[in-house]
Amino acid sequence: MYKEPAKPHTLSNFTTSLDQLRSSVLRMSSLAHLNLKNSIKGLMERDDDWCNNCIADDEEIDLLEMQIDHEGIEVMSRFHPFASDLREVISSIKIGANIERVADQAVNIARRARKLNEQPELAELHLLDNPIRLSLEMFADAVRAFAERNAELAVELKSRDKELDLLNKDLTDALINRMQDDSPNLPSYLNLIFISRCLERIGDHACNIAEDVVFAVNAEDIRHPGKV
Amino acid sequence: MPNEEHAATPPEDFERPLELTDDFTPGESNFIKVDNFKFFYGKKEALHGINLKIPSRKVTSFIGPSGCGKSTLLRNFNRMNELIPGVHHEGDITIHGMSIYDPSVEIIALRRRIGMVFQKSNPFPMSIYENIVYPLRIAGQNTRSVLDETVERCLRSAALWDEAKDRLNDSALGLSGGQMQRLCIARAVASRPEILLMDEPCSALDPIATAKVEELIIELKKDFTIVIVTHNMQQASRVSELTAFFYLGNLIEFDNTRKIFTNPSMKQTEEYITGRFG
Repeated sequence: MYKEPAKPHTLSNFTTSLDQLRSSVLRMSSLAHLNLKNSIKGLMERDDDWCNNCIADDEEIDLLEMQIDHEGIEVMSRFHPFASDLREVISSIKIGANIERVADQAVNIARRARKLNEQPELAELHLLDNPIRLSLEMFADAVRAFAERNAELAVELKSRDKELDLLNKDLTDALINRMQDDSPNLPSYLNLIFISRCLERIGDHACNIAEDVVFAVNAEDIRHPGKV
Repeated sequence: MPNEEHAATPPEDFERPLELTDDFTPGESNFIKVDNFKFFYGKKEALHGINLKIPSRKVTSFIGPSGCGKSTLLRNFNRMNELIPGVHHEGDITIHGMSIYDPSVEIIALRRRIGMVFQKSNPFPMSIYENIVYPLRIAGQNTRSVLDETVERCLRSAALWDEAKDRLNDSALGLSGGQMQRLCIARAVASRPEILLMDEPCSALDPIATAKVEELIIELKKDFTIVIVTHNMQQASRVSELTAFFYLGNLIEFDNTRKIFTNPSMKQTEEYITGRFG
């Protein structure tokens, strides 16, 4: 399902500005995705350089978030968008904020990874394999849903978030048990729990992005079902 | 062809309190009802079977590209189009359940019930005071106290009293463009109409004067049913609770303004309000 506006705007500058906003969101998301992958590499390969790259590159993402806000405000003030255009601008600004938080979680993971890298490697590190795979997939699919205006893909992300929540809970329980048997490594277990929590939050942000995609494409508010 | 579901009747959630007021009670007598209305300039059919119900004491906007028939329909509500040679109509328009084309309807009386404000302000070349009381004088009312009370009431209604109270005997032609338009609104409400028709009332005004007229429109709807034709979609979204979109003489969509401007049902409406038209 690929929804493209039926016709270009009569005012070509309007189309150009909306395209610019959209491309800023996509650029920001690809940088955030790269940063996230760098932090995971730093964690799994026990390489601080990847972690440092991730932390340093976060600034560009912060700047892009502000740029998206400014571009969105400019579209609203210059062109007074209505209907699908208005929804697209609002969603883009909200998606920008969620991508920035995903990048912040990548930085959190990188910082925790650097602490883990100072300590002996734990076999339990690989308990994170599934949460890492799922959170990376969810974020990538949320961005794809935005890029393709694919509301069906966006809706489908919600169920995967529940799976990620469950993985995080099981992993946390398992690591708490290990702490009791292996107290000298307690700080490292805590760092793994924090990283798992970061991955779970990335899933939440992916879901938020998906909700904004559904709003932009279908004019439907799927947040908090049953409460409206 | 217009989609019947959206064109023929008010939106389904009409009975639900709308954003700005909660005193709306639906009922036949509350409506301006347009029933399969066709209008012809000579042989040219300008309106193709319009069906529409406009509720009382709300602001309804008509939007659409030039030549779509919105002003033609508006000017039929007080039968102004009949001043044009060669026109005729089919179908009916009723107000409070009574056809405006009923042989017993006197056009002067009808127009007293339906005030009109035009794109270009048209004050009479006389004093501010005399402009306001003109409709009363031609109705035979010359009692000074009644006229004075009307002038103050109408100028206050039009948010013009503070600016004009000390110069009531000055020529109306000395007012600014925005003041002249508000004076015309004051004159339009002097005969206590039930309905106020506005045909692009702000198109010649600056943003401040426009804001004052819009504020006035929102204030006036407490007492009047207002129908406004506008090309300014921001204005339609700001002042009206209901919006009708016309295209090529058809009513394409009629719904709550919030719905029309955030998620219209019809593709043509979406294309028009997002600027992807033509």
